[in-house]
Amino acid sequence: MSGPPRAVKKAPAIPVDFGAEVPDLEFFAAPGAERPVPQHRKLSEYVLEHRRDVGLSAACVVAVVLFQLAAPVVIRHTVDGLADGTLGRAGLAWDLALFLGLTLAGAALSLGMRALPLRLSHRVELDLRNDVFAHLASLDPAFYREVRTGDLMTRMASDIAMVRDYIGQGLLQGLRSVAVCVLAFGAMAVTSLKLTLVMVALFPPMILVFFLLIAVIRRRHESVQEQYAEISNYAQESFAGIRTVRGFAIEPLREAGFAALSRELIRRNISLGFVQNPLWPLFGLWFSLGVLGLLVFGGRMIVGGTLTLGELIQFQQYLLFMQWPMLAIGWTASLLQRGRASWRRIEEILARAPTIADGPGTDAALARVDGDIEFREVTVRAGGRALLDRVSLRIPRGSTVAVTGPTGSGKTLLVSLLPRLLDPTEGEVRIGGRDLRAYPLATLRAALGVAPQEPVLFSDTLEGNLTFGLDAPTHETALWASALAHLHDDAVALPQQYETFIGERGVTLSGGQRQRTAIGRAVARRPDYLILDDVLAAVDTQTEAAILEKLRPVLAGRTAILVSHRASTLRHADLLVVLEDGRITATGTHEELAARPGYYRDLVRMQELEAELEGRP
Amino acid sequence: MTDDLPDTLPAIPSRRLVARVLRYMRPYAGWMAVSLALLLAMSLALNYLPVLIKDAIDAWIAAAGVPAADRIAGLTRDGLLYLALAAAAFAVRFGESLLTAWIGQRIVYDVRADVFRKTHALDLAFYDRTPVGRLMTRVTSDVEAVQRFVTEGVVGAMADLFLLAGVIGFMFVVHPRLAALVLAAMPPLFAALFWANQKLRRASRLIRERTSSLNALLQEQIAGMATIQLFNREARARARFGERAAVLRDAHFEEIRWFSIYWPVLEIAQAASIALVLAAGGLAFVRGDAAVTLGVLAAFLAYVRDFYRPLGALADKAGMLQQAMASAERLFDLLDTPVGIRDPAPALPTAPASPVGRGAIRFDHVWFAYIDDHWVLEDVDLDIRPGESVALVGATGSGKSTMAGLLSRFYDVRRGAIRVGGVDVRELPQRELRRRIGLVLQEPFVFSGTLAANIALADPSMSRSRIEEAARFVNAHRFIGRMPQGYDTVVGERGGSLSTGEKQLLALARVIASDPEVLVVLDEATANVDSETERLIQEAVHRMMRGRTSLVIAHRLSTIRDADRIVVLRRGRITAQGTHDELIATDPYYRHLYELLGVSSSVCRQEGTETQSK
Repeated sequence: MSGPPRAVKKAPAIPVDFGAEVPDLEFFAAPGAERPVPQHRKLSEYVLEHRRDVGLSAACVVAVVLFQLAAPVVIRHTVDGLADGTLGRAGLAWDLALFLGLTLAGAALSLGMRALPLRLSHRVELDLRNDVFAHLASLDPAFYREVRTGDLMTRMASDIAMVRDYIGQGLLQGLRSVAVCVLAFGAMAVTSLKLTLVMVALFPPMILVFFLLIAVIRRRHESVQEQYAEISNYAQESFAGIRTVRGFAIEPLREAGFAALSRELIRRNISLGFVQNPLWPLFGLWFSLGVLGLLVFGGRMIVGGTLTLGELIQFQQYLLFMQWPMLAIGWTASLLQRGRASWRRIEEILARAPTIADGPGTDAALARVDGDIEFREVTVRAGGRALLDRVSLRIPRGSTVAVTGPTGSGKTLLVSLLPRLLDPTEGEVRIGGRDLRAYPLATLRAALGVAPQEPVLFSDTLEGNLTFGLDAPTHETALWASALAHLHDDAVALPQQYETFIGERGVTLSGGQRQRTAIGRAVARRPDYLILDDVLAAVDTQTEAAILEKLRPVLAGRTAILVSHRASTLRHADLLVVLEDGRITATGTHEELAARPGYYRDLVRMQELEAELEGRP
Repeated sequence: MTDDLPDTLPAIPSRRLVARVLRYMRPYAGWMAVSLALLLAMSLALNYLPVLIKDAIDAWIAAAGVPAADRIAGLTRDGLLYLALAAAAFAVRFGESLLTAWIGQRIVYDVRADVFRKTHALDLAFYDRTPVGRLMTRVTSDVEAVQRFVTEGVVGAMADLFLLAGVIGFMFVVHPRLAALVLAAMPPLFAALFWANQKLRRASRLIRERTSSLNALLQEQIAGMATIQLFNREARARARFGERAAVLRDAHFEEIRWFSIYWPVLEIAQAASIALVLAAGGLAFVRGDAAVTLGVLAAFLAYVRDFYRPLGALADKAGMLQQAMASAERLFDLLDTPVGIRDPAPALPTAPASPVGRGAIRFDHVWFAYIDDHWVLEDVDLDIRPGESVALVGATGSGKSTMAGLLSRFYDVRRGAIRVGGVDVRELPQRELRRRIGLVLQEPFVFSGTLAANIALADPSMSRSRIEEAARFVNAHRFIGRMPQGYDTVVGERGGSLSTGEKQLLALARVIASDPEVLVVLDEATANVDSETERLIQEAVHRMMRGRTSLVIAHRLSTIRDADRIVVLRRGRITAQGTHDELIATDPYYRHLYELLGVSSSVCRQEGTETQSK
């Protein structure tokens, strides 16, 4: 389509897979248990906040349309004056000056007519985006496990943009179409009622056809998008499975499959073209019908002396002028439909209540987290399976406890209960004798320093990442934390030392460096409770020993929980806990467990053998 | 979107690049000529319409002396002629647009097929260093950009030019002096439009950049939401997000500014042209110049409107062209990537495997390194007799998996040679070689589709009985039977609903169904396989190895013991070989290794070995 106004941009491209409209996901439909649905603002409230702009837009639209309708009246005057010889040079000059003046005034006001509603829509978009993000920041990890990032991204990017267009373009085109409809037909009726009726008869079928075509176009457009997604998935699969593709020598099959999908895409595109391409020719044709009406009926009236040539030309100018605003009725209607669908998808996010949040059970008076950690018959169930099964464990304040066990035995889950990334299904976790759920969430988390197994670092400087958890970051703290995490030597070797940017557009840290940064980040908060979840897996044995050595004084004053597979890490703990299949199968000191047959003894033996193998020349 | 357009991209892309894009258009040159001819016809017809109006006005409307009946009849005739001509023009335009769309689609098809074929010819070393996302951009948006270049750029610009030429031509035919006046107004207007367009393009580039920056931040924050919450950083995350969102809004404001200027500029220019025409024409009319009639004035009012549309469209095409060229550049870069591993020239006789040597494998003093001279294999010399099963054992990084990769010729040896059935693997077409080798990968890749199609991967025409036979042979039949639609159950991307163990069984069935001459198994005791499935897998692997030349990268004790021969690999060299009993008796390194494997398998009953060996 070459015609619609230029600001109708496609939704911004997002880095996830292209095209593919988001299906309504089941999880969103799932009621947030018995929790009350949080109140969110209605879309109209967002718009009405700017009601002054809405009013101004409407005023601008009316004024612009009036000016634009007035200009052809001047032309009529000129033509008629020329035709009957009553217009001299001076009259012509006056007419033209008036014509230019009217156009200029209309053009000047049309700046506001376009800018006001569009700017308003972007303000609403910003408010909306911030509100949705704030809501996302309140939702717990359970939500993020259910939702694919791509879906959230689409909702945050395309759907919000769609709502924005729905407001901005809807306001602009909607107001304008209404104004043009009422005022243009009014102006025409004043000039010649009979000819106006001919023109009026022309538009309804056109609008109807346009509306119907747009519906078909949208359907076929979606089917094209689906095919794009198919092709994209197919290619992605081929690239990801390239070893299998090559290994089985099925390149020709994959190429044939790809070609078939591409051919189907051509077919769908052409079928889209069949309904999309006639759109503009059709409206040109409709306009020609209008010209026919003007010549036949208008001409007859001129011959009969009831219409002048100037009036005929005035009508022709109106016909041209009305083309787009009339078409925009159908287009705006389809925009409104899509906008509402997008708003519903956004509402689905806003309606989702966080399952972990401060609530009536929160004791706001609890300002300090202190005391022993106690797991009491804690069970975590998911999908019918008990991931943690009646785990009971007491961790005295100030002690260091190490948790080990096979992958998938529930170690990470166990330590995730402390910062309440999830809550137990049954049983309770306590600190200082109070259920964790009684502490205000922010208070609880402020007392903890967590270094997760696969740390997420942010696109920021190294120092920014180290001091991520601090309200008042200082360079000294960053240095101190970095030294403790045995990161300093690595840091100064980076191009801009602590100011080096990390992440996709900066330096990529090695796995070990990332883990040590995460340790530094956790330690920098000087937390009373330190949780290190298998953070030393990617560093070699010597570095590990160095880090543990440095951490020793830090651990001394705090309660620490270490998750690890390494015997060399584990043996330093005051207490060892072996977790297998969601259950605690052994607790004790290194000496006790190493002497007993079981997981821990095998682990120690295996690592000794490995060390020997590596150590041999 | 990868928008790695430098700011100072030359406005005129290199001729070589354009020529290469145009080469894709060559097969459709005839059709494009037809399309252009249609455009020309349409332009002539459309631009003749104002002439019709002029005639109607002069001959009938402003002709008071002619009898009324004749005037009405004449007007009706002209009106119908107008409609007929317009209908014809729009029909032609519709036909042309479909033709152009079809040409564009065909070209896209050709480009896309070339790119896809190329990606499947590139060696694995290329995949090791190229992220899948980048390849996806090539196959999708870059290809689309080239298509837009052809349909909107080349054909669209032609259409605009034809329309413009038509308007100008007809204006001169109708009244040269007035036409010259309208043209005189063109340069400043074109300059103004071009200027506004430039600003608009800058604004939309800014929007693109800030949109992707906002999205990048959003993606990062969604991915790191747990961390943000752990450290109580929600407020700061909101602030950061808000900042970037506000900056994006500002870029949109900038665009709106220029967008709202664009149309008024056009309107004012149009009005100025109309005023100019009316002034000059009106004065001439007042003077009694016979060449300027009311019809002429009406025709010019129409021409002035038609004049600006293609002009605006042309000013808009430049930006798109730049983007398309950047995409084309990236596409051709990919298409020009040298292929490291090539098939032998067809002239070279591809010696058929001699019946005697069928299945024999020979590593003939093989040296290999992935980078420079960091040797991964050093002088590996190994002879595997037809039907013999050999287990490779060694610590992590000893080069076992590399040997498997070399045998399938995913990489080429640096020195020495590898022969399968007596033929150097470099002298066999790759697909022929890989058809002979059944490769069981460590991480089985399941394609979306039915289970049956996944087993019959190498040969879609495979009979159902053969598929089932293969599945039975590797103990996969039972789990498939439990699936809702049995063999016709559709599994999603990457095997979606299947467990790791089930995927492995499926991969085994796939290999056995293709009945390979040689079997290569990367046999890891994988994470998250329950003991029953683990037993089924082991049993299946043993059954597959029986009587078939096999090279097994072994981690399971049972597989090792079952092999005819065990080869100990240590730091890229073969240090010992023999049967299990021999090695246990003579090689202390092997004894050590064997004990380690034993303990590990008890430790990682449910767990990947790699976590242990770090």
